[in-house]
Amino acid sequence: MHRLKAALEDFGGMIFFALETLAWVFRPPFRPGLILSQMAFIGVGSIFIVGVTGTFTGMVFALQVNYAMKQFAAEGYVGGTTALALARELAPVLTALMVTGRSGSAIATELGTMRVTEQIDAMDSMAVSPIQYLVAPRVIASVVMFPVLTMLFDGLGYAGAYLMGIYVSGIPAGPFIEHTRTIMLPEDLLHGLGKAVLFGLLVSVVTTWRGFSASGGSRGVGEGTTRAVVTSSIGILVVDYAMTLISVGT
Amino acid sequence: MNDVWKAFNGNQVLKGITLHIARGETYVVLGGSGSGKTVLMKHVIGLFKPDRGSVFVDGVEISALEGKALTEARGVFGMVFQWAALFDSMTVYENVAFPLRERGHSPPAEEVREKCLAKLKVVDLGEEVLERYPAELSGGMRKRVALARALVSDPKIVLYDEPTTGLDPITTDYVDGMILAAKQKLGITSMVISHDVASAFKVADRLAVLYDGHLVAEGTPAEVKSSRDPYVQRYLSTWFQKQ
Repeated sequence: MHRLKAALEDFGGMIFFALETLAWVFRPPFRPGLILSQMAFIGVGSIFIVGVTGTFTGMVFALQVNYAMKQFAAEGYVGGTTALALARELAPVLTALMVTGRSGSAIATELGTMRVTEQIDAMDSMAVSPIQYLVAPRVIASVVMFPVLTMLFDGLGYAGAYLMGIYVSGIPAGPFIEHTRTIMLPEDLLHGLGKAVLFGLLVSVVTTWRGFSASGGSRGVGEGTTRAVVTSSIGILVVDYAMTLISVGT
Repeated sequence: MNDVWKAFNGNQVLKGITLHIARGETYVVLGGSGSGKTVLMKHVIGLFKPDRGSVFVDGVEISALEGKALTEARGVFGMVFQWAALFDSMTVYENVAFPLRERGHSPPAEEVREKCLAKLKVVDLGEEVLERYPAELSGGMRKRVALARALVSDPKIVLYDEPTTGLDPITTDYVDGMILAAKQKLGITSMVISHDVASAFKVADRLAVLYDGHLVAEGTPAEVKSSRDPYVQRYLSTWFQKQ
């Protein structure tokens, strides 16, 4: 009972934290330099890991789908099926999970360390809102960069699938591309990008909140970072399920 | 500060603290480790909110403010933290310039630089430290940079959290001199949290002793020194018996 109460209080605290962040986003002074620097860290810094994950996911998925489709002599559908799966599910979810591991953990650790060494209190004492200075740029950068990275994942994933499908499995390029055009629609891409925006918001709020609420020295920072990654990852899967259910029904 | 109570996880840290600090005076709160001195100070600047009671600064009830109003109300303060709390990802110059650059409308870059250099000079630091990071400074230098950062926006009130902790006697003496100079030259109101009896008696106009959530003694240094409270006598004797 006590743990449930603490968990509910923590969740309530995070909701208020998110609303306060939203309020500070629209108040001057605006700090484009900080937003750009966070976009570079969260977005540009994640290109390698997201690119590698995307390429290999596309390659493996194409091989698996080809293995299944061969039984119905429908190998031509490999491209379309892979593109659809990438756009709607694999790209937004795996991108978000990879960026959570790379950047989300770093955000929670950095802010947690600033909290326990009183750097956040110092900022407060100087009449500078730490939510506006530290949290808002990270949230804005995540909301912008998660969809960009998801598009990168989509592109490289499809390229990987094309390489496997055409050059390894020997599927003719014509049906591979043609069925991609007929199976995957622009709204499928938008569905995935919409998820990416929500994942960006979720991960940035959870990881900054965990950093802000860290206490108890280096151990507290470590625990906060672990909780940030676990909560974000589970949150991504739950939100993904909810959005898919709303989008395609049962 | 009127009848301030504060508890953390069932542990009652402050039990009805009432105190008044006059404009321009240096008020020191003495107390042992874990006595709640820092908690008390953080109520003054609104970093903590009392469970009960109220805190007024210049007639404004800071304990009732939230969000942007609270952030703006903190504009009258400078604060020196126990372990300096310098931003470790920024250079000394970026640390000292931070309140000027980030608090609303930033003055021109040249003016920011002049002010920063002037305050660093006050704490006896020169241009050679500007591009260094906090990790490259000694404990004493970090404290001095923190003091320069607290003074750079010409605050009316400066809060010092254990300003002499971890410093050698010469640097301690230097920091005491800085607190006195800030008061005498700039007319700043100061609140100092300390467990250092010698420093407290050197800089205080008035002081108080915090024990078990209560102020067990309050007054001028002479009045506190002659207090009959057993804890105060024991606390002060640790230093005065050495004299």
